[in-house]
Amino acid sequence: MARAVLLKDVCFSYNANQPDTVEAIKKLSLEIEEGSFVALVGHNGSGKSTLAKLLNGLLLPTSGDVRIFGDSTMDNKKLFDIRKNVGMVFQNPDNQMIASIVEDDIAFGPENLGIEREEIIRRVDWALTKVGMLEHKKGTPFKMSGGQKQRLAIAGVLAIKPKILVLDESTAMLDPQGRSEVLKVAHELNKQEGMTIIHITHFMEEALGADRLIVMNDGEIAFDDTPQNVFRHYEELKNIKLAVPWDTQFAISLAKLGIDTGEITKEEDLIDSLCRLL
Amino acid sequence: MPIVIKNLSFTYSKGTPYEKKALDDINLTINEGDFLGIIGHTGSGKSTFIQHINGLIKPQEGEIEIFDIKLTSQKRPKVNLKELRSQVGMVFQYPEYQLFADTVEKDVAFGPKNLGLSNEEIKERVKEAIEMVGLDYEKVKDRAPFELSGGQKRRVAIAGIIAMRPKMLILDEPTAGLDPYGKEQILNLIRHLKEHCSPTIVVISHDIDEITRFANRIVVFNDSHIVYDEPMQELFKHSRQLQAIGLDIPRAVKIANALRYKGINISNNIVTAEDLLKNIVELYNKKHNTNIDAQKAAFDMYDFSHKWIAKDNKEGDDCQNINESSDKHIEESQEDKIDDNKKDNKDEIIVNQQKQKRDKR
Repeated sequence: MARAVLLKDVCFSYNANQPDTVEAIKKLSLEIEEGSFVALVGHNGSGKSTLAKLLNGLLLPTSGDVRIFGDSTMDNKKLFDIRKNVGMVFQNPDNQMIASIVEDDIAFGPENLGIEREEIIRRVDWALTKVGMLEHKKGTPFKMSGGQKQRLAIAGVLAIKPKILVLDESTAMLDPQGRSEVLKVAHELNKQEGMTIIHITHFMEEALGADRLIVMNDGEIAFDDTPQNVFRHYEELKNIKLAVPWDTQFAISLAKLGIDTGEITKEEDLIDSLCRLL
Repeated sequence: MPIVIKNLSFTYSKGTPYEKKALDDINLTINEGDFLGIIGHTGSGKSTFIQHINGLIKPQEGEIEIFDIKLTSQKRPKVNLKELRSQVGMVFQYPEYQLFADTVEKDVAFGPKNLGLSNEEIKERVKEAIEMVGLDYEKVKDRAPFELSGGQKRRVAIAGIIAMRPKMLILDEPTAGLDPYGKEQILNLIRHLKEHCSPTIVVISHDIDEITRFANRIVVFNDSHIVYDEPMQELFKHSRQLQAIGLDIPRAVKIANALRYKGINISNNIVTAEDLLKNIVELYNKKHNTNIDAQKAAFDMYDFSHKWIAKDNKEGDDCQNINESSDKHIEESQEDKIDDNKKDNKDEIIVNQQKQKRDKR
């Protein structure tokens, strides 16, 4: 597997060299393999969104190097390719729609890449199929639910055929149903298309299906492991204002009373374990 | 004086092909002191409903009586909406988007100013409201609201409502979009407000686990009707029906139901995680002949070690409590500000502008 993302000693400060400078990323190094599903979690101000914007050159490191498939974001000539490879979906679905008809909105990206009409049509259909919105091709985004709009935003990015998809708190403003719709699409893209997914979220529960969970705190990586292993540090996570998933917390609460359920991350496991105990 | 809603119906775009019934013969009494949770799908009518209580929508059919003010479909007698809105405070979704003034103090003062109060009275109310939401008045009053973190901005927006000293507070999705810690702070704030500011509180939320942590009564909207109106302990006896209309039930109820289905003799009265923990301890003790104290069971998922305590107004500023040094406090709130709000929006705006420009070409 190729190395999709490489960060080496990356520092980033807002308002660098000014009196009100703020160090958001502190000498951070990180590698992400192609095809992996990485969840990036941290409280507000931990630096996770800054990190996301460093990945496609929306922000450039104050020092250090960010490389996407070997290309540095500092290299102006490569920046266009990097942005083609790293698709970003942001938090607010309403800010990411530009056309009044769904298919026009999805076609916008490939049109700007100067792709032929037939290919654009193929890509629009493909992208809409991938997010389960093909039937809304001729519809208008403005009357859709948050989850649907966010899936369209993903389709718009997919039409550019990126190799890496960054979801920057794309689920934060959605209701539970919209949230699970978006997550499902992300997992399918990861499994079926082998797309590298970097999912940024406040919520540990959304990290459950990820191969790897990176927890950010204060501009640094606090944990970087499988979700199960990270959840073992629940006390430390609380200190950096994060909570483990509900079912895990429930098992921990029982363990504190001396009832051992074993390690729990999912609801089914908790139910099975309780059935054995009771 | 309770709030009485009788036979309330409302249809959007009435008389056009786009006609859509949003409320159909709603009857509801909200008592003073109620901590009411409203749940329902997107489009079930709950937002239309609360907009009625605040006089933002005039009833088409039926009537509403709120603290001696009567709202009907009739034009006369004229309703004193100013009076109504000072008594029923409404906190919309993402209220921080509505901040507009250049200082926190001016923003919070906007409501009381419109009530025509004297300057001293306004000043006093503003100070009280800012402290009530757990911010340090002296520290924040002259700051621009946009410099604050997301959670702090939301609290300033809530302060703007509280400054009108409403008798009743309606909050629509008050924790949406916040991180777990920010959510916890707002929930603590709501409980605090119930005790010290407005005795009647109505909260709309999608997160049922959140609602069960404070509500004493839950109203369920579905398809423009109220389908359940029950004390919290009773509602989840209908969990199968609730799930059938696509609503979530609390995690603890879900697990209790699954265990019962598998033949375990679990109690029928479980709503919260603590309830379930205690019941499990009892059953475990019976089966294994142990003596674990069920009263010790605690679900401390939300018990962040740097807990924000709303009990004492003066202690309210979370940043103070989180960080030992005040330098760090500034750093964090600035980072918050830049990282999560400005830059985010700026980037999105820039990206969209570029998109649009290219589109035009």
